Amino acid sequence: MEDIKAYIESGILELYVLGDITPEEKLQVEMMASKHSAIKAELDEIERSMELFAEDNAVEPPAHLRDRVLNSILTNFGDDSTFTTNSEQYKNNIVAMPAAKTSNFYQYAFAACLTLLLVSVIALISLYNRLQQSNIQIAALQSDKQRFANAVSLKEGELEVLQDASFKFLKLQGTPKAPQSQVTVAWSPAKKKVWIDMRSMKMPVNDKEHQYQLWALVKGKPVDLGVFDKNADITDMKEMKSIALADNFAVTLEPRGGSPAPTMDEMMVIGKF
Amino acid sequence: MSKKRKISLSEDELVLALRNHEKVAIEALYDMYSSSLYGVISRVITDTATAEDVLQETFVKIWHSFSSYSTEKGRLFTWMVNIARNLAIDKLRSKDFKNQNKNQELENNVAFIDEQRNTTYKPELLGIKELVETLKPEQKSILELVYFKGYTHVEAADELGIPLGTIKTRLRMAIQQLRKYFN
Repeated sequence: MEDIKAYIESGILELYVLGDITPEEKLQVEMMASKHSAIKAELDEIERSMELFAEDNAVEPPAHLRDRVLNSILTNFGDDSTFTTNSEQYKNNIVAMPAAKTSNFYQYAFAACLTLLLVSVIALISLYNRLQQSNIQIAALQSDKQRFANAVSLKEGELEVLQDASFKFLKLQGTPKAPQSQVTVAWSPAKKKVWIDMRSMKMPVNDKEHQYQLWALVKGKPVDLGVFDKNADITDMKEMKSIALADNFAVTLEPRGGSPAPTMDEMMVIGKF
Repeated sequence: MSKKRKISLSEDELVLALRNHEKVAIEALYDMYSSSLYGVISRVITDTATAEDVLQETFVKIWHSFSSYSTEKGRLFTWMVNIARNLAIDKLRSKDFKNQNKNQELENNVAFIDEQRNTTYKPELLGIKELVETLKPEQKSILELVYFKGYTHVEAADELGIPLGTIKTRLRMAIQQLRKYFN
């Protein structure tokens, strides 16, 4: 009890009421007041007397200040959390907001990109195929061109033979073995060139094991001038091995690749200049 | 002043209404306490316009931070008057206010200095003079310093050149005297 009295007498309660006190002391006073009713009562007395003191020294503020102060509170805090009295009428006033339009721009853009990529890939494959086709065509055309060039050069060769006065033409007539056969040989002793005309050739078609072989008889001796096939598809002139001197020309049927010496039994045609 | 009907509520009703943020509460609060609070503020700050600003700030702060008030910790007025005094003293000590005083126009200086030295006649101050006469001079000075000038008791001890314990005792005696006066 003495302690409480001393505590009251210390003047700390007055300082508490005047707010001139540290936060720790403040907590202590509040704790003491809640424990001891005497301190609480003393505190209340001090508060009342200070309140009366203030009332006694009251100064009426200017009349215009009332509106200013109230308005500043009402306008500054005039949202619906400031006053609860009017909130009832707003409670059923909640309107569902339309769902926010989420922008699908990036989804669409991504889809567009994928589509574009797909179209591009397809176009690329298609173009690649066409390029391949074109290349094949170009290769075909080139081989055609080559073939035509060859044909032209061959024809030029033929034409040369036909136009060249030095060439002599000799029709080799069929032997009794093949009386219908006929081979035309063109020979230029000056140029040592021998051609045979495949177009006008009349010979039985040879099999795959055999080939015709052209011979020149020079002073009774057979000289090989090369082999050829009778084929309906071959219609041009064929240049054979060269020879400067010849008495006779003859064609025998020999095993494929030719023989060193003619098989006389198989002589098909023979002719003499 | 009495043209307007003033709203008055019991302290319990007022606290409840303030807690519920009812509009009537702030009106009642102003009508019931503005003059007491303005009395304190206008003694700390002699400049009328600034004192009015501080009163406004006080009510805004009371309204805004009312949730921090608890009836268990004391009377409503004690809490409010401490807010008012702290705002007033902060304003008095703030750089702006000091600069404002330094920048007074020359022609206003006579009135300003008179005001500062309390030589002007202020009828509303009659009350305190009369009351404070009942206090002993040393009680009066300590109450003036701590209550109206915003001194802490430590600063007041320095200012008056007396021990801290004596300050506390004198302050207590002054308030005891007030209690006697009001009873």
